[in-house]
Amino acid sequence: MKQLTSFIQRKRESQPILLMTHVVYGYPTIPESLEIMEMLLKEGVELLEVQFPFSDPVADGPVITEACHVALEQKVTLNQCIEDISVLASTYPESRVLLMSYLNPLIQIGFDHLAEKLSPSISGMIIPDLPIDHKALATPLNDKEIPIIWIVTPGMEPSRIQKIADQAAGMLYCVSRAGVTGQTNSPIDSLESYLNSIRALTQLPLAVGFGISTREDIAMLENKADVAIVGSALLRAFHAGGIQQVKRSLLELKGSNA
Amino acid sequence: MRDDGYFGQYGGSYIPEILFNSQQQLLKEYRSAMADSAFIEQVQQEMQEYSGRPTPLTHCARLSAQIGGAQIYLKREDLNHSGAHKMNNVIGQGLLAKRMGKTRIIAETGAGQHGVASALVAARLGLECTVYMGAHDIERQYPNVFWMKQLGATVIPVTTGAATLKDALDEAMRDWSASYDDTYYLIGTSCGCAPYPEMVSGFQSVIGHEVKTQALKQFGQLPDKIYACVGGGSNACGIFMPFLEDSTELVGVEAGGRGPQVGDHACRFNTPQARFGIAQGFSTRFLQDDQGQLLPTHSISAGLDYVGVSPILADLADRGEVRMISATDEEVMTAFSQLAKNEGIIPALESSHAVAGGLREAATLSPDQHIVINLSGRGDKDLFNIARALNDQPFNTFLRTYLDEEENR
Ligand SMILES: Cc1ncc(COP(=O)(O)O)c(C=O)c1O
Repeated sequence: MKQLTSFIQRKRESQPILLMTHVVYGYPTIPESLEIMEMLLKEGVELLEVQFPFSDPVADGPVITEACHVALEQKVTLNQCIEDISVLASTYPESRVLLMSYLNPLIQIGFDHLAEKLSPSISGMIIPDLPIDHKALATPLNDKEIPIIWIVTPGMEPSRIQKIADQAAGMLYCVSRAGVTGQTNSPIDSLESYLNSIRALTQLPLAVGFGISTREDIAMLENKADVAIVGSALLRAFHAGGIQQVKRSLLELKGSNA
Repeated sequence: MRDDGYFGQYGGSYIPEILFNSQQQLLKEYRSAMADSAFIEQVQQEMQEYSGRPTPLTHCARLSAQIGGAQIYLKREDLNHSGAHKMNNVIGQGLLAKRMGKTRIIAETGAGQHGVASALVAARLGLECTVYMGAHDIERQYPNVFWMKQLGATVIPVTTGAATLKDALDEAMRDWSASYDDTYYLIGTSCGCAPYPEMVSGFQSVIGHEVKTQALKQFGQLPDKIYACVGGGSNACGIFMPFLEDSTELVGVEAGGRGPQVGDHACRFNTPQARFGIAQGFSTRFLQDDQGQLLPTHSISAGLDYVGVSPILADLADRGEVRMISATDEEVMTAFSQLAKNEGIIPALESSHAVAGGLREAATLSPDQHIVINLSGRGDKDLFNIARALNDQPFNTFLRTYLDEEENR
């Protein structure tokens, strides 16, 4: 479980912030999604979050929701997804690959089977509709040392942050604002005090996501958080100009296009 | 029912963490409201003075004779203000929203009945109202959309996914994730995270309680069987729950649609695609594929084609307390005509499912037995669908003339 944490800490020694990019498996097709992932890993994103598409992704905004629905037309299977991203994970050992999925596809395949399948190349699992209170469901992952990346949100009671922090491993996923993924209209309010309040309760790396879309957003997080998470913005780049545009956006986000 | 919102293996709360506080606040306020006799009295008074309760229990003598079996009684939820049982729930939740100091409500709707009911109660209580509705359902149920707008509500078409109720529910949850500070999410059926299933069923139980009193008074005993259509399950829970300790048999009627093929029906029971799942904030039986993706559904009635079902009903069915059957679109149209022509009552297409199931089984019973069918709503909203299903050409001519006249005005 400490593996992801120490990876982030080691990388952070030389960088003010790391990048976790988000990709929907199977969007727009399975080969193209794998091509995007490969490009991102080649370009050196430190963390890659691969979302297995779900018909009803309630924590996601319109861009990712639409991508999920298109991906589902490709008849994706969770087994194939895990196999495909495991290959990538072992080809690019200088990055870490995480799987994100809503609960229902996971409980249909079964957490026991999932734990068997996932180890050891996938570094963590993000499950947006699994509350910490139902952690027991995912025990097989825990037994296999695959961390569940728990989510903390603005306005959360300190007691709940503590409860989550006490059970968390790998890193904490800090949602930057109320709402769903991809929203950039509402400002991230009092980000600094929000992150400080979490920092006071845990030593785990903090990853911040939801609505992070520009170089400025990321710069604002530097040395306050450990990882910036970018999802919808890259999908929008893909819509605008395919994989080349995703690459340009990535370089821009990393501040290395000058 | 357990304190944690579970009904057997179903129910619970599986929401994104951002909604945790709001869900806890709702749970707390709901419990405190239910312990407050002044609040309960206010709900009852509104049900009576605004919605027109109690609704009658109507004996259908001609229909019973025609079917040649049990005595058929209808619980007339169609006579509620707004023409459906949905009113019972929005009165309760609307007053709760007010009590919680919220200024805006959001709702999701399939047939539009819950949207209209929400818009009505929002107007009455002075709350802002936004209704999410699948673009496909908007096409099928435009008259209801029209009324929602006249009542001052904002109707947002949902074009993602199958563009029906489940997608509207996703959108409402997304809105709630961003707006919980001032917004109350008014769920229209006994689904969703705790405490919604229990709360909606609780507000709807007024139906069953009235049936109990009325049955004893009108035919001197409890009904032998009660039939209710099952979309999300709120009218069924409402009429069934007060009878759980009794010998009355409880029968739910699902939308059999065009037939048993995937995508042609909305049966969350007795079909291979219906299994335990967790989605949209709770666990229940969902229609899903082998990858756990929720499947598209079909019914002639927009109000019954929800992909999941109340966790309360899922549990009651597992325990054999409720029996689930289904009626096809075709049977539903036949039942619709039989009721209209024999009794002078125009049922909603949703309710016509319960009528179809009830009539089918009444024929096998004896004339000294009594069945109650929950007539959850009236058919006015279905004018266009019914005209289409009956292939009524004069209706099309009327529409064409009407449009021509409008254009030449
Ligand atoms: C008239 C009517 N009956 C029944 C239903 C189905 O809902 P439920 O199963 O929650 O009663 C609806 C839903 O819109 C409806 O409008």
